Amino acid sequence: MNKYIAYWGERALLVLISVVVLFPIGWMFLTAFKKPRDAYSLSLNFEPTVQNFVTVFSDPWNLGSMVLNSVIVAGATVAIAVPCASLAAYSFSRFRVRGRKFLFFLILSTQFIPAVVILLPFFLMFRSLGLLDTRVALIIVNLAIVTPFVIWMIKGFIDAIPTDSEEAAMIDGASRLRVIKDIVLPMAAPGILTSSIFCFILTWNEFMFALILSRRDAVTLPVGLVSFRTERGDLWELMSAAGVMITVPIFIMALLIQKHFTRGMTAGAVK
Amino acid sequence: MAEVRLVDIEKKYGSFLAVPQQSLTIEDGEFLVLLGPSGCGKTTTMRMIAGLEDITAGDIQIAGERVNDKPPKDRDIAMVFQNYGLYPHMTVRQNIEYPLKLRKVNKAERARRVQDTADKVELGTLLDRRPSELSGGQRQRVALARAIVRTPKIFLMDEPLSNLDAKLRVTMRAELKHLHHELGVTTVYVTHDQMEAMTLADRVAVMREGRIVQLDTPKRIYSDPADLFVAGFIGSPSMNLIDGAVQDGRFIAEGMDLPVSLPDRDEVVFGIRPEDLELADGDTPIKGRLYALELTGESTLVTMRAGKTSVCARGHADFEAPINAPCHLAPKTGARFYLFDRATGQRLDG
Repeated sequence: MNKYIAYWGERALLVLISVVVLFPIGWMFLTAFKKPRDAYSLSLNFEPTVQNFVTVFSDPWNLGSMVLNSVIVAGATVAIAVPCASLAAYSFSRFRVRGRKFLFFLILSTQFIPAVVILLPFFLMFRSLGLLDTRVALIIVNLAIVTPFVIWMIKGFIDAIPTDSEEAAMIDGASRLRVIKDIVLPMAAPGILTSSIFCFILTWNEFMFALILSRRDAVTLPVGLVSFRTERGDLWELMSAAGVMITVPIFIMALLIQKHFTRGMTAGAVK
Repeated sequence: MAEVRLVDIEKKYGSFLAVPQQSLTIEDGEFLVLLGPSGCGKTTTMRMIAGLEDITAGDIQIAGERVNDKPPKDRDIAMVFQNYGLYPHMTVRQNIEYPLKLRKVNKAERARRVQDTADKVELGTLLDRRPSELSGGQRQRVALARAIVRTPKIFLMDEPLSNLDAKLRVTMRAELKHLHHELGVTTVYVTHDQMEAMTLADRVAVMREGRIVQLDTPKRIYSDPADLFVAGFIGSPSMNLIDGAVQDGRFIAEGMDLPVSLPDRDEVVFGIRPEDLELADGDTPIKGRLYALELTGESTLVTMRAGKTSVCARGHADFEAPINAPCHLAPKTGARFYLFDRATGQRLDG
């Protein structure tokens, strides 16, 4: 009897948690396909439409340029952060340099600083450099945010690779860089891929810096959402359609790399 | 092929002295085994030759050339690692081919040499598998093939057989010996297994706490150990080492009374190998009670105890007696025995 209660209790709890987590997402997906007059009703009985998606991509919302901004900012951040972080992580993992631990701590400690604290210095810096409302500014800021995190993650993966294979390659005649290219990177590839996805998601979802540092030209998707709060009230159906545009790429990525994703989380956690 | 000279080399990790200053010359074409318990500095010494560890002081010369500042890739060596050090993401063929690829050997030549080498170590049919699909012995042979696919100046082998099961180890030992005979390349081999050392080596360097305590042929290491440590380390079963004292030209311990040519002194260790003892009747110099019998197949190991003294002898395979029965042992005619100072471990005789 007790077993029975525990079995169903556990399942009921899981369902409850799933409902709490999935409800807003489900609601967003539904609303994205509703007409404005249905947006506030909780009824599932409505006539679906794709008009909202057409609307958000046309004037005055122009979601297309925001999608482009988001793709460029997140893509460039990944393209710069991951190679740099891989080399840094390799060095932290393999070279016994004086002050190595302190330096690693220093890099990680940048993650402890609340974003709002450095928001203003960044704003002033970019203003004097004339970089406000540019993608370059957002890329720089995102690099500062994600690189330490990615170094830490990739280091965990590289630490797990035995040095025997590397030493064998060196003796076989490979230089240090060749060893990294031929041996370390292929062996750490699943970890590096996972880190890249994390990096992309972090940047893709980044809101606060993008909100402050962009105005018109460099607006990214999460910031774009705010523009649906108008004098006419909140345009929930358009906001939902834009929300779907933001979440779908992330969902697809998560599904594709689900296996690596969880492994990456645990690997990063214990190392 | 080359001579390797270690001249006054030393290795420190911070303030810890891993290998104290010493010299060693490995002759051209020689098979030298570095033997010792774990942590004795043998692997460190080998890694210094490979260039995987910097040396704190001294010089390393390979074929007359000082290589202290040369990275491993420029020393023209090949190494077999304890854990094989294979490239898991490459196939067996790519693993074996890798050193040739780095040396820009052309494709046709590469394919030919990989096939030849793989055939030599009986991997010819497994070339397209990955290391994870191979057994321990097969992986070991891939590591070996990768080392012999080109002809380096020196082979370094770091406990290459330690991960294999007992039977395979014996087979691989013979293969290594044959390979060395065939290729004639100077080889440095690290192991803690004295049987491997005895069977493979031209010369054995027995190491302890970073120092080479004896460097000699296996035969002489066995029959003429430099000190108590070497005496106890070499031989299976190991030498009987019995604590006692010398009085009036006789070695006295519980259950033992043997004539020796040594002035009176306390704290003496008497050493005799089990194969130099035989079971006898009547008034023998070693007396006690039978403690254990272990049949090894070709002989029986007889362990006798008298108080704190425990002595093992190699007896006939047919020997049988009840446990605790009186047991009499005597040195065989012409048997060798050794006397050591208990405190310093130094040989006191000869």
